[in-house]
Amino acid sequence: MIRFDDVTKVYPGSKHPALNSISLEVSKGEFVFMVGASGSGKSTFLRLALREEKATKGVVRVSGKDVAKLSTWKVPHLRRTIGAVFQDFRLLPNKTVFENVAFALQVIGKPRHAIAHTVPEVLELVGLAGKEQRFPHELSGGEQQRVAIARAFVNRPAILLADEPTGNLDPNTSVGIMRLLDRINKTGTTIVMATHDHEIVNQMRKRVIELEHGNMLRDEVAGVYGYSR
Amino acid sequence: MRFQFIVDEILIGLRRNIAMAISVVLVTVVSLFLVGLGFLAQRQVDTMKDYWYDRVQVSIFLCGDGSTAAGCADGKATEAQKEQIQADLAAPQLAAYVDKVYFETQDEAFKHFKEQFKDSALSENVTVDQMPESYRVDLKNPEQYQVVAELFTDKPGVETVESQNEVLDRLFALLNQLKLGAWMLAAVTLICSVLLVATTIRLTAFTRRRETGIMRLVGASNFFIQLPFILESMIAAAVGAGLASVALVGVTKFQIQDRLAQSLTFTNYVGVGDALMVVPWLFVIGLGIAGVSAFLALQRYLKV
Ligand SMILES: Nc1ncnc2c1ncn2[C@@H]1O[C@H](COP(=O)(O)OP(=O)(O)OP(=O)(O)O)[C@@H](O)[C@H]1O
Ligand SMILES: [Mg+2]
Repeated sequence: MIRFDDVTKVYPGSKHPALNSISLEVSKGEFVFMVGASGSGKSTFLRLALREEKATKGVVRVSGKDVAKLSTWKVPHLRRTIGAVFQDFRLLPNKTVFENVAFALQVIGKPRHAIAHTVPEVLELVGLAGKEQRFPHELSGGEQQRVAIARAFVNRPAILLADEPTGNLDPNTSVGIMRLLDRINKTGTTIVMATHDHEIVNQMRKRVIELEHGNMLRDEVAGVYGYSR
Repeated sequence: MRFQFIVDEILIGLRRNIAMAISVVLVTVVSLFLVGLGFLAQRQVDTMKDYWYDRVQVSIFLCGDGSTAAGCADGKATEAQKEQIQADLAAPQLAAYVDKVYFETQDEAFKHFKEQFKDSALSENVTVDQMPESYRVDLKNPEQYQVVAELFTDKPGVETVESQNEVLDRLFALLNQLKLGAWMLAAVTLICSVLLVATTIRLTAFTRRRETGIMRLVGASNFFIQLPFILESMIAAAVGAGLASVALVGVTKFQIQDRLAQSLTFTNYVGVGDALMVVPWLFVIGLGIAGVSAFLALQRYLKV
């Protein structure tokens, strides 16, 4: 699904690479944690997969396609196959829960009846049935993140990238979000999640990739957050 | 769905940026109005040229008794001199310039003079003898009167060669200057409106960065992300062009036709028809400029 071949990313104006010769492959249906200290390059990895940034060196493949070779007008089509969730939810404050999720379909030109059909379905899936007409400020942080996940997943992407999705949530709420992501993963969606959350990583026992200063430190099946920490 | 959605987004955008929208409209109105005035000034010059040059003749006045001009050494123009002038006017090398030639006798000149000055004391005191004989020459291209004038000045039997063209040339030079001024002001204000549209887009892109960020993330096409911005500025430009057109037609109707044309009757003026012909151009220019500057601004401020 996602394959990095000797990928290096150096941001313009910085001397040290944010990612340094990273080679790895994430297969279809996998659940992968990316861990590492702040600034180790986790978000950079996700941005490269989304083609928000281009690799300085090496090849980034998503669903078999070299993303660097995509023409500008094809990049949106790549992004339709990838859902993304962030620490800060990124909801539109003046739209309701329903409208926030529907927005993702409207802007890619989905017809109205399809939207009316799919949005309640996905809201049900993330456990927000009955809260469709609430505004983001009327929801808890955990519920807001569920809206964001619903929006990322409503188009049934093959890949879901999550950048510290529980970073702003208390441990209990985080567990709820993790259950949801696990459920989504079980539907066959590949998930890559960057996180600092020890407990979650240790509990879930999924594949763990650790980065340090842009280098890959380890890549373990059913790993834990870290031995030294 | 798509259409309804885009319309909603545009209305939200316009409402959120109402002050900017109004300023874009106003600058567009002013600049397009000036563009329109430039066009109308051009039409006015053309109209006046048509009007005047139809009526313009070169007059070759012949020597009378007591003429002192260089060509009048022999006193009153003789029959031989007249024949020579007539032959010269009919010569093949002038055929390209001369359309028709009339001879005006002293009697005819006297009659015209009396008519022209019938309310003035002047007409009481002149006699037929004092009126000059003349050849009246209609030109094929009135702007080339100089050729004829130079050829006959100081010829034997010719007192002076006159034409209204010298006055007209000065008048047209003035009008051309006015036209140029209108164009230049229009150019300056058009540049203002381009910059304003770009600034507006930049601010709008900034206030909407959340939406556009999400759009990009979920895979909306660049076209779809940019369309509301482009349409918004085009709508503002269309409103501006509409108002500028109303102003232009209004000025032609009420200022030029109803007032100027009534008080200064020496020529015809551009009319509402001329103004209406300019209107489509105002829309083309206004929409074109808004669309292009929006597009260029988006390339810079809305990187996808
Ligand atoms: N847009 C950018 N321009 C320049 N340098 C950047 C940019 N984004 C990130 N970096 C640098 O790249 C390195 C990796 O950053 P990245 O955001 O990938 O880290 P991270 O692992 O996600 O950190 P965190 O856990 O704090 O989110 C850092 O040194 C950071 O300063
Ligand atoms: Mg990060």
